[in-house]
Amino acid sequence: MDGGLQREDPGASYFRESLRLRRRPSRVSNQLNRDSSSDEDEEEDEVDGEDQARELRNTPFSMALKKAVRQAQLMKMPVVSSSNSWKMKRSKILRQLKSSARDVVGYLTLWDKTLQKIGGNFGGGVQSYFLFLRFLVVLNFLSFLLLAAFVIIPSIIFSRVGTSFSNTSETLNLCADCAAECMEYEPNPQGLRMFYSYFLDLLSGTHFMEYTYLFYGYYSNTVLEDRNFSYNIPLAYLLTAVFYLAFCLVCIIARMGTAARVAVVTGGSTVGNYSMIVFCGWDYGCLGDRATKLKQRNVLYRLQVDLEEEALKRRAAARTLKQRVLLYSLRVAMFFVALGLIIAAFVGIFEATNFSQENRQEEGFLSLLLEYLPSIVITAGNFVVPMLCDQIALIERYTPSTTVILALLRAVFLRLMSLAILLITLWQQITCEGDTESQNCKLCLYNHVDYPCWETRLGQEMYKLTLFDFLVSVAVLVLVEFPRRMVVDNWSNKLVQWFGRQQFTVPANVLELVYGQTVVWTGALFCPLLPLISVVKFVLFFYFKKINLFNNCRPALRTFRSTTSTVFFLMVLLIGWCLAAAVVIYSIAEIHPSISCGPFRVSSNIWSIVPSSILNLSEVTQEFLFFIGSQAFAIPLCVLSCVVMCYVIVLAAAYGKSVSLLRKRLKMEGRDKQFLVKQIGELTRKLQIPNSE
Amino acid sequence: MGTTASQLGKDLLSEYQELTFLTKQEILLAHKRFTELLTKDEKDHQNTRVSMERILTLPELKSNPFRKRICHVFSTSEQKDGGLTFEDFLDLLSAFSDSATLEIKSHYAFRIFDFDDDGTLDRGDLEKLVNCLTGETDDTRLTTEEMRQLIDNILEESDIDKDGTVNLSEFQHVISRSPDFVSSFKIVL
Repeated sequence: MDGGLQREDPGASYFRESLRLRRRPSRVSNQLNRDSSSDEDEEEDEVDGEDQARELRNTPFSMALKKAVRQAQLMKMPVVSSSNSWKMKRSKILRQLKSSARDVVGYLTLWDKTLQKIGGNFGGGVQSYFLFLRFLVVLNFLSFLLLAAFVIIPSIIFSRVGTSFSNTSETLNLCADCAAECMEYEPNPQGLRMFYSYFLDLLSGTHFMEYTYLFYGYYSNTVLEDRNFSYNIPLAYLLTAVFYLAFCLVCIIARMGTAARVAVVTGGSTVGNYSMIVFCGWDYGCLGDRATKLKQRNVLYRLQVDLEEEALKRRAAARTLKQRVLLYSLRVAMFFVALGLIIAAFVGIFEATNFSQENRQEEGFLSLLLEYLPSIVITAGNFVVPMLCDQIALIERYTPSTTVILALLRAVFLRLMSLAILLITLWQQITCEGDTESQNCKLCLYNHVDYPCWETRLGQEMYKLTLFDFLVSVAVLVLVEFPRRMVVDNWSNKLVQWFGRQQFTVPANVLELVYGQTVVWTGALFCPLLPLISVVKFVLFFYFKKINLFNNCRPALRTFRSTTSTVFFLMVLLIGWCLAAAVVIYSIAEIHPSISCGPFRVSSNIWSIVPSSILNLSEVTQEFLFFIGSQAFAIPLCVLSCVVMCYVIVLAAAYGKSVSLLRKRLKMEGRDKQFLVKQIGELTRKLQIPNSE
Repeated sequence: MGTTASQLGKDLLSEYQELTFLTKQEILLAHKRFTELLTKDEKDHQNTRVSMERILTLPELKSNPFRKRICHVFSTSEQKDGGLTFEDFLDLLSAFSDSATLEIKSHYAFRIFDFDDDGTLDRGDLEKLVNCLTGETDDTRLTTEEMRQLIDNILEESDIDKDGTVNLSEFQHVISRSPDFVSSFKIVL
């Protein structure tokens, strides 16, 4: 074993140098890593023997050397008393419990291993997209459970149980003085229909699918009252929808808080970036030639992108005044061009929606085309306009990270506003543009001729948007991505190779998700099963995108920093939420609900069920609720909130200052070290002592 | 001392558990995989050293660009040929295991990246390191200009005492700022 010991000299010297200097800091950095278990236990454990053995593990000696050292330690160790041995056993059992608990949690977490594999091969940016997707799946699933528990399952139970309960059934709650025409609602026209019409109905949610639990129109306004049990379905419907939106908001904000904390701590720092990629960039868990090549390509692209960005920055700093003026005026012009493109898209959507609503009488395939016309125009706009904006961005010549953020913001604006325009046109048609004296709206205060059950219509539009979005993505995947990969791989034409394989562009894909989720939020009030449909859709999305990623894509040329990007995605999602909330609030408060269908058929607007229910509560509760709504409560609450907010803002500013101070200190430390090393060099030279290093 | 014919003794097993970061199951699995690499005669000897070529047939190491360096670093062979005994193999798995500390991982990472074994990472080491990371073929290398720029940047960021090389402390300083080094420096059988 002599050769072995000699071989160890570098190791021993490495070890001595590092252990002495780094013993305490390494514990701190280990706690930051959240991954090591042994160090945390090391602090709690009081028994010497265990401590020594674990320190021995941490030494980079060969096994033979470790065994020898261990023997020496055991000779010196005192006899273990019974209390000590009990402590050792207890700490060992605790450690095992902790590790098995961690295993179980890792096993239950959805798609954990897949996400790690994606992160290892494609980097943090792409992994953050898939993490976002998983978050949406979980959110939608919990929402569906909420809706099912409070609305769908009670409806099913009460409709089965029927009139065996005393009090109230549908007939008693019909509107006494409404015109008979308002109550006409025939979702299932009789007579012969073409065989393919069932397929068309499935895609557009009409006829046989319309009068089902899928849409608002099917739910009845039963109020069940038994001896000690009462359940008001309309109230439950409304409150569940409101609570569902609030719940989603809370989830998003909580997640944004944790992500923002991580972003602040790691600082999004660009310092040490190259060293980080080169020293920490390899994932040793990569198995197989293909994964290894993928990872190598990823590292290569990251290095090239960073080097290119640095070269660009140097060139930008070297621009003359004339060049800068030219560039800025070009940027302003391009801004207006982009704005013009987006407005053109909006006009197109407006016209398409109007056209589609006006020509609903056609039959067969043409009717399906017309029904899907708004969705088609929206999708075409979302496809064409970002492509043109990308070309515009080439002229603008911002830095790559700014370009990505600008592209994302423009695309967000386009997508969400096009959805808003679709909804506004629908509303205008439902309420006859606010004119309650016009022919269609006179009788029932809404357009009962074209929309006998307008909530179901809205639900159908949202259902169609969701379905169409999904079908288009799958079609693009099958018809564009796979053939593109095959063409690029097998045909070495120069033009084709320049075109290259598909890049996985994170921002565009995130936008798709945000758009889909906004549609779900908007439609959930009118189509209670929509969260379930979107859970299925997102799960299928995950697998399709994963297959696409691993088979067809090369690593993206524009890397997206993962820490700041999570916060950014959630912010964009919040914008979508605000749009959906605005839609829902307007529908609840302003528009007269349909008289012929749905749980709110007797009220003048959907919200009015809440005040009438409050009047049924006991006196004390009513007093309490009125007090909460009054000014005597609201104003002190406002003032208190302002005070708390000021305090939190001041605290945040203080923390931000201390974080930047600490970062400056870190830079100073580096310079201090350089200074000290120089001093040591000079001193040794002066004293002429041979350098012991 | 060393591996018995086909099974690990209980004392040996508990000693390995104490001296490495591996759990009992992991040590037994390692023993099973290691004995699969041995020929029939070698199984009877104790302390057999398996040549590097055979070690590199393991799927976990086969396509790793640093496979040869890993074998050299953990090998205790006198001929410096990269052959590993079972105990060297356990050392390897312990350093790459889930529960190993940042300290031990960064130490071994430094030794793996030190291609010329001189105790520091100089320009030649860094260049070989980058080439391993991006792939050895011509169309996956960086250009000379890019490589020069990259190594200048790395040295500027990590070389604190400005001696033109990265030593162990400077390396560990860089590593300690990375949040996912520990989870990526992992090989599990």
